[in-house]
Amino acid sequence: MEKKQYELCVEILRRLNKAGVLKDLILVGSWCIPFYKDYFKTIKYATSIRTRDVDFMVPGRIRIKAKVDVVELLKDLGFVVGFQGREGYIRLEHPELAIEFLVPEKGRGSNKPFPLKELGINAQPLRYLSLLTQKIIHTEIAGIKISLPHPVVFAFHKLIIATLRRNKDKAAKDIEGALRILKAVLDKGQKAVIKITFDSILPAWRKKVLKCLKKMEKEDLLRLLEE
Amino acid sequence: MRGVIKGALAEELQNSLRMEKEYDAALRKLPKGCLSVKKIKGHKYYYLVSREKGKLKYVYKGAVPKEEVKRYKEVKEYRAKYRKLLSQVKKQVKYLRSSLRGKEAI
Repeated sequence: MEKKQYELCVEILRRLNKAGVLKDLILVGSWCIPFYKDYFKTIKYATSIRTRDVDFMVPGRIRIKAKVDVVELLKDLGFVVGFQGREGYIRLEHPELAIEFLVPEKGRGSNKPFPLKELGINAQPLRYLSLLTQKIIHTEIAGIKISLPHPVVFAFHKLIIATLRRNKDKAAKDIEGALRILKAVLDKGQKAVIKITFDSILPAWRKKVLKCLKKMEKEDLLRLLEE
Repeated sequence: MRGVIKGALAEELQNSLRMEKEYDAALRKLPKGCLSVKKIKGHKYYYLVSREKGKLKYVYKGAVPKEEVKRYKEVKEYRAKYRKLLSQVKKQVKYLRSSLRGKEAI
Protein backbone atom coordinates (compact mmCIF):
# COMPACT_ATOMS: atom_id res chain seq x y z
CA MET A 1 0.00 0.00 0.00
CA GLU A 2 2.86 2.31 0.91
CA LYS A 3 4.46 1.95 -2.54
CA LYS A 4 1.16 2.43 -4.33
CA GLN A 5 0.46 5.53 -2.28
CA TYR A 6 3.88 7.01 -3.06
CA GLU A 7 3.53 6.27 -6.76
CA LEU A 8 0.10 7.89 -6.82
CA CYS A 9 1.49 10.96 -5.08
CA VAL A 10 4.30 11.18 -7.65
CA GLU A 11 1.75 10.85 -10.48
CA ILE A 12 -0.28 13.74 -9.03
CA LEU A 13 2.86 15.87 -8.83
CA ARG A 14 3.76 14.90 -12.41
CA ARG A 15 0.34 15.91 -13.73
CA LEU A 16 0.26 19.20 -11.83
CA ASN A 17 3.76 19.92 -13.07
CA LYS A 18 2.85 19.13 -16.68
CA ALA A 19 -0.21 21.38 -16.38
CA GLY A 20 2.08 24.19 -15.21
CA VAL A 21 0.57 24.76 -11.78
CA LEU A 22 2.98 22.93 -9.49
CA LYS A 23 5.49 25.79 -9.59
CA ASP A 24 2.90 28.03 -7.96
CA LEU A 25 2.08 25.57 -5.18
CA ILE A 26 3.83 24.63 -1.95
CA LEU A 27 3.40 21.14 -0.61
CA VAL A 28 2.50 21.39 3.06
CA GLY A 29 1.13 18.89 5.58
CA SER A 30 2.44 15.53 6.69
CA TRP A 31 3.66 14.52 3.21
CA CYS A 32 6.50 17.00 3.64
CA ILE A 33 8.02 14.64 6.22
CA PRO A 34 8.99 11.86 3.77
CA PHE A 35 10.01 14.45 1.18
CA TYR A 36 12.52 15.98 3.61
CA LYS A 37 14.58 12.81 3.22
CA ASP A 38 16.78 14.47 0.62
CA TYR A 39 17.36 17.50 2.87
CA PHE A 40 18.41 15.19 5.71
CA LYS A 41 20.36 12.77 3.53
CA THR A 42 23.57 13.24 5.52
CA ILE A 43 22.02 12.02 8.78
CA LYS A 44 19.82 9.18 9.96
CA TYR A 45 16.28 10.41 9.36
CA ALA A 46 13.22 8.34 10.12
CA THR A 47 9.86 9.61 8.91
CA SER A 48 6.97 9.72 11.35
CA ILE A 49 3.35 8.69 10.93
CA ARG A 50 1.41 10.54 8.22
CA THR A 51 -2.17 10.63 7.05
CA ARG A 52 -3.42 10.22 3.50
CA ASP A 53 -3.87 13.99 3.11
CA VAL A 54 -1.72 15.71 0.52
CA ASP A 55 -2.11 19.44 1.13
CA PHE A 56 -1.14 22.03 -1.41
CA MET A 57 -0.86 25.62 -0.38
CA VAL A 58 -1.41 28.54 -2.70
CA PRO A 59 0.64 31.44 -1.29
CA GLY A 60 -1.42 34.62 -1.00
CA ARG A 61 0.63 36.79 -3.33
CA ILE A 62 0.85 34.31 -6.17
CA ARG A 63 -1.69 34.25 -8.97
CA ILE A 64 -1.83 30.96 -10.80
CA LYS A 65 -1.33 31.68 -14.48
CA ALA A 66 -2.19 28.31 -15.95
CA LYS A 67 -5.88 27.44 -16.15
CA VAL A 68 -6.44 23.83 -15.24
CA ASP A 69 -9.46 21.86 -14.15
CA VAL A 70 -7.80 19.87 -11.36
CA VAL A 71 -10.84 17.62 -10.89
CA GLU A 72 -10.75 16.61 -14.58
CA LEU A 73 -6.96 16.29 -14.47
CA LEU A 74 -7.11 13.62 -11.75
CA LYS A 75 -10.48 12.03 -12.53
CA ASP A 76 -9.09 9.06 -14.44
CA LEU A 77 -6.91 8.15 -11.45
CA GLY A 78 -10.13 7.45 -9.58
CA PHE A 79 -10.37 10.64 -7.53
CA VAL A 80 -13.86 11.73 -6.55
CA VAL A 81 -14.89 15.14 -5.32
CA GLY A 82 -15.81 15.30 -1.67
CA PHE A 83 -16.99 18.25 0.35
CA GLN A 84 -15.69 18.73 3.83
CA GLY A 85 -17.38 20.52 6.70
CA ARG A 86 -20.46 22.68 6.66
CA GLU A 87 -18.67 25.24 4.51
CA GLY A 88 -18.02 22.79 1.67
CA TYR A 89 -14.28 22.78 1.14
CA ILE A 90 -13.45 20.64 -1.87
CA ARG A 91 -11.38 17.57 -1.20
CA LEU A 92 -10.29 15.16 -3.94
CA GLU A 93 -10.48 11.69 -2.50
CA HIS A 94 -9.00 8.32 -3.33
CA PRO A 95 -8.50 5.30 -1.04
CA GLU A 96 -4.76 5.96 -1.09
CA LEU A 97 -4.69 9.77 -0.92
CA ALA A 98 -6.82 12.84 -0.35
CA ILE A 99 -5.88 16.19 -1.88
CA GLU A 100 -6.75 19.52 -0.36
CA PHE A 101 -5.88 23.06 -1.31
CA LEU A 102 -5.16 25.64 1.36
CA VAL A 103 -4.65 29.40 1.42
CA PRO A 104 -3.37 31.57 4.28
CA GLU A 105 -6.19 33.23 6.20
CA LYS A 106 -5.99 37.00 6.29
CA GLY A 107 -7.55 39.72 8.41
CA ARG A 108 -10.42 38.70 10.63
CA GLY A 109 -10.79 35.54 8.65
CA SER A 110 -13.88 33.75 7.48
CA ASN A 111 -14.96 30.15 7.26
CA LYS A 112 -15.95 30.56 3.64
CA PRO A 113 -14.02 28.55 1.04
CA PHE A 114 -11.62 30.61 -1.05
CA PRO A 115 -12.42 30.15 -4.76
CA LEU A 116 -9.48 29.14 -6.94
CA LYS A 117 -11.09 29.74 -10.32
CA GLU A 118 -7.89 28.94 -12.20
CA LEU A 119 -7.97 25.41 -10.81
CA GLY A 120 -11.74 24.92 -10.81
CA ILE A 121 -11.84 24.21 -7.09
CA ASN A 122 -11.92 26.03 -3.77
CA ALA A 123 -9.39 26.23 -0.97
CA GLN A 124 -9.63 26.27 2.77
CA PRO A 125 -8.27 29.43 4.40
CA LEU A 126 -6.18 28.59 7.47
CA ARG A 127 -4.54 30.75 10.08
CA TYR A 128 -0.73 30.62 10.52
CA LEU A 129 -0.17 29.17 7.03
CA SER A 130 1.80 32.24 5.99
CA LEU A 131 4.51 31.07 8.40
CA LEU A 132 5.19 28.20 6.01
CA THR A 133 6.04 30.62 3.20
CA GLN A 134 8.66 32.40 5.28
CA LYS A 135 11.40 29.99 4.24
CA ILE A 136 11.00 27.67 1.28
CA ILE A 137 13.24 24.85 0.13
CA HIS A 138 13.17 23.10 -3.24
CA THR A 139 13.66 19.43 -3.76
CA GLU A 140 13.22 16.89 -6.52
CA ILE A 141 10.86 13.95 -6.31
CA ALA A 142 11.15 11.50 -9.20
CA GLY A 143 12.64 14.28 -11.30
CA ILE A 144 9.88 16.76 -10.44
CA LYS A 145 10.82 20.00 -8.72
CA ILE A 146 8.64 20.76 -5.72
CA SER A 147 8.57 23.51 -3.12
CA LEU A 148 8.35 22.66 0.55
CA PRO A 149 8.44 24.80 3.68
CA HIS A 150 11.84 24.71 5.38
CA PRO A 151 11.82 21.91 7.99
CA VAL A 152 12.26 24.43 10.83
CA VAL A 153 9.25 26.56 9.87
CA PHE A 154 7.30 23.35 9.25
CA ALA A 155 8.10 22.21 12.79
CA PHE A 156 7.26 25.61 14.33
CA HIS A 157 3.96 25.65 12.44
CA LYS A 158 3.11 22.19 13.79
CA LEU A 159 3.93 23.31 17.34
CA ILE A 160 1.75 26.42 16.98
CA ILE A 161 -1.27 24.57 15.64
CA ALA A 162 -0.85 21.86 18.28
CA THR A 163 -1.57 24.50 20.94
CA LEU A 164 -4.86 25.32 19.19
CA ARG A 165 -6.12 21.82 18.49
CA ARG A 166 -9.16 20.56 20.36
CA ASN A 167 -8.38 17.02 19.32
CA LYS A 168 -5.64 15.87 21.71
CA ASP A 169 -4.59 12.95 19.48
CA LYS A 170 -4.01 15.27 16.53
CA ALA A 171 -2.10 17.68 18.75
CA ALA A 172 0.10 14.81 19.97
CA LYS A 173 0.77 13.76 16.36
CA ASP A 174 1.71 17.33 15.40
CA ILE A 175 4.09 17.66 18.34
CA GLU A 176 5.66 14.26 17.68
CA GLY A 177 6.31 15.19 14.03
CA ALA A 178 7.63 18.64 14.91
CA LEU A 179 10.05 17.37 17.57
CA ARG A 180 11.32 14.65 15.27
CA ILE A 181 12.11 17.24 12.60
CA LEU A 182 13.75 19.66 15.03
CA LYS A 183 15.90 16.78 16.29
CA ALA A 184 16.93 15.98 12.71
CA VAL A 185 17.86 19.66 12.14
CA LEU A 186 19.97 19.59 15.32
CA ASP A 187 21.59 16.32 14.22
CA LYS A 188 22.45 18.00 10.92
CA GLY A 189 24.32 20.63 12.93
CA GLN A 190 21.96 23.47 12.05
CA LYS A 191 21.36 24.78 15.56
CA ALA A 192 21.81 28.35 14.29
CA VAL A 193 19.13 27.90 11.63
CA ILE A 194 16.59 27.02 14.33
CA LYS A 195 17.51 30.10 16.36
CA ILE A 196 17.58 32.50 13.37
CA THR A 197 14.24 31.20 12.10
CA PHE A 198 12.69 31.44 15.54
CA ASP A 199 13.85 35.04 15.92
CA SER A 200 12.39 35.94 12.53
CA ILE A 201 8.80 34.90 13.29
CA LEU A 202 6.13 37.09 14.90
CA PRO A 203 6.45 37.52 18.71
CA ALA A 204 2.94 36.12 19.28
CA TRP A 205 3.85 33.00 17.30
CA ARG A 206 7.13 32.69 19.19
CA LYS A 207 5.16 32.65 22.45
CA LYS A 208 3.01 29.81 21.16
CA VAL A 209 6.07 27.77 20.16
CA LEU A 210 7.61 28.29 23.60
CA LYS A 211 4.33 27.45 25.33
CA CYS A 212 4.17 24.14 23.50
CA LEU A 213 7.81 23.26 24.19
CA LYS A 214 7.38 24.17 27.89
CA LYS A 215 4.38 21.87 28.08
CA MET A 216 6.46 19.10 26.56
CA GLU A 217 9.37 19.94 28.90
CA LYS A 218 11.85 20.21 26.05
CA GLU A 219 14.51 22.03 28.05
CA ASP A 220 17.29 21.73 25.46
CA LEU A 221 15.18 23.37 22.76
CA LEU A 222 13.86 26.00 25.16
CA ARG A 223 17.38 26.93 26.18
CA LEU A 224 18.38 27.30 22.53
CA LEU A 225 15.37 29.45 21.60
CA GLU A 226 15.47 31.66 24.69
CA GLU A 227 19.23 32.37 24.47
CA MET B 1 -6.71 10.16 24.69
CA ARG B 2 -6.16 7.31 22.24
CA GLY B 3 -2.51 7.97 21.44
CA VAL B 4 -0.79 9.18 18.26
CA ILE B 5 -1.24 6.04 16.16
CA LYS B 6 -4.81 5.36 17.17
CA GLY B 7 -5.65 9.03 16.73
CA ALA B 8 -4.34 8.92 13.15
CA LEU B 9 -6.23 5.67 12.50
CA ALA B 10 -9.45 7.18 13.87
CA GLU B 11 -9.01 10.16 11.54
CA GLU B 12 -8.45 7.82 8.62
CA LEU B 13 -11.54 5.83 9.55
CA GLN B 14 -13.66 8.98 9.35
CA ASN B 15 -12.06 9.78 5.97
CA SER B 16 -12.72 6.26 4.69
CA LEU B 17 -16.36 6.34 5.81
CA ARG B 18 -16.87 9.64 4.01
CA MET B 19 -15.09 8.26 0.95
CA GLU B 20 -17.36 5.21 0.93
CA LYS B 21 -20.37 7.50 0.63
CA GLU B 22 -18.68 9.51 -2.10
CA TYR B 23 -17.86 6.47 -4.25
CA ASP B 24 -21.43 5.25 -3.77
CA ALA B 25 -22.71 8.63 -4.94
CA ALA B 26 -20.27 8.69 -7.88
CA LEU B 27 -21.47 5.24 -8.97
CA ARG B 28 -25.11 6.29 -8.70
CA LYS B 29 -24.41 9.38 -10.81
CA LEU B 30 -23.10 7.32 -13.74
CA PRO B 31 -25.71 6.48 -16.40
CA LYS B 32 -27.12 2.98 -16.01
CA GLY B 33 -26.23 0.14 -18.34
CA CYS B 34 -23.68 -0.34 -21.06
CA LEU B 35 -23.84 -0.48 -24.82
CA SER B 36 -23.76 -3.83 -26.51
CA VAL B 37 -23.20 -4.11 -30.21
CA LYS B 38 -24.49 -6.90 -32.37
CA LYS B 39 -23.26 -7.34 -35.92
CA ILE B 40 -25.90 -8.75 -38.23
CA LYS B 41 -25.11 -9.05 -41.91
CA GLY B 42 -22.36 -6.43 -41.64
CA HIS B 43 -24.60 -3.88 -39.92
CA LYS B 44 -24.06 -2.73 -36.32
CA TYR B 45 -27.05 -2.76 -34.00
CA TYR B 46 -26.71 -1.17 -30.56
CA TYR B 47 -28.53 -2.28 -27.44
CA LEU B 48 -28.44 -0.73 -23.99
CA VAL B 49 -27.97 -3.55 -21.53
CA SER B 50 -28.94 -3.02 -17.94
CA ARG B 51 -30.02 -5.15 -15.00
CA GLU B 52 -33.51 -4.84 -13.57
CA LYS B 53 -34.45 -6.90 -10.53
CA GLY B 54 -31.57 -9.25 -11.30
CA LYS B 55 -32.60 -9.80 -14.91
CA LEU B 56 -30.79 -8.49 -17.96
CA LYS B 57 -32.77 -6.04 -20.02
CA TYR B 58 -31.88 -5.17 -23.63
CA VAL B 59 -33.20 -1.92 -25.05
CA TYR B 60 -32.72 -1.40 -28.77
CA LYS B 61 -30.97 1.92 -29.40
CA GLY B 62 -30.71 1.87 -33.19
CA ALA B 63 -27.86 3.89 -34.68
CA VAL B 64 -25.73 5.48 -32.01
CA PRO B 65 -23.33 8.35 -32.76
CA LYS B 66 -19.62 7.66 -32.24
CA GLU B 67 -19.43 10.19 -29.38
CA GLU B 68 -22.12 8.37 -27.42
CA VAL B 69 -20.37 5.02 -27.97
CA LYS B 70 -17.19 6.62 -26.63
CA ARG B 71 -19.06 8.08 -23.65
CA TYR B 72 -20.58 4.71 -22.73
CA LYS B 73 -17.12 3.15 -23.00
CA GLU B 74 -15.76 5.78 -20.61
CA VAL B 75 -18.68 5.25 -18.23
CA LYS B 76 -17.98 1.51 -18.23
CA GLU B 77 -14.33 2.15 -17.36
CA TYR B 78 -15.23 4.59 -14.58
CA ARG B 79 -17.81 2.17 -13.17
CA ALA B 80 -15.21 -0.60 -12.98
CA LYS B 81 -12.68 1.77 -11.44
CA TYR B 82 -15.08 3.19 -8.84
CA ARG B 83 -16.30 -0.31 -7.90
CA LYS B 84 -12.72 -1.46 -7.37
CA LEU B 85 -11.90 1.60 -5.28
CA LEU B 86 -15.13 1.28 -3.29
CA SER B 87 -14.22 -2.29 -2.46
CA GLN B 88 -10.76 -1.07 -1.38
CA VAL B 89 -12.35 1.58 0.87
CA LYS B 90 -14.66 -1.02 2.42
CA LYS B 91 -11.64 -3.20 3.24
CA GLN B 92 -9.93 -0.17 4.78
CA VAL B 93 -13.00 0.56 6.94
CA LYS B 94 -13.04 -3.04 8.15
CA TYR B 95 -9.32 -2.99 8.90
CA LEU B 96 -9.43 0.40 10.65
CA ARG B 97 -12.44 -0.61 12.76
CA SER B 98 -10.67 -3.77 13.91
CA SER B 99 -7.47 -1.80 14.65
CA LEU B 100 -9.38 0.63 16.83
CA ARG B 101 -11.22 -2.05 18.81
CA GLY B 102 -8.73 -2.32 21.70
CA LYS B 103 -8.98 0.18 24.52
CA GLU B 104 -5.27 0.74 25.18
CA ALA B 105 -3.68 3.94 23.90
CA ILE B 106 -1.01 3.47 21.23
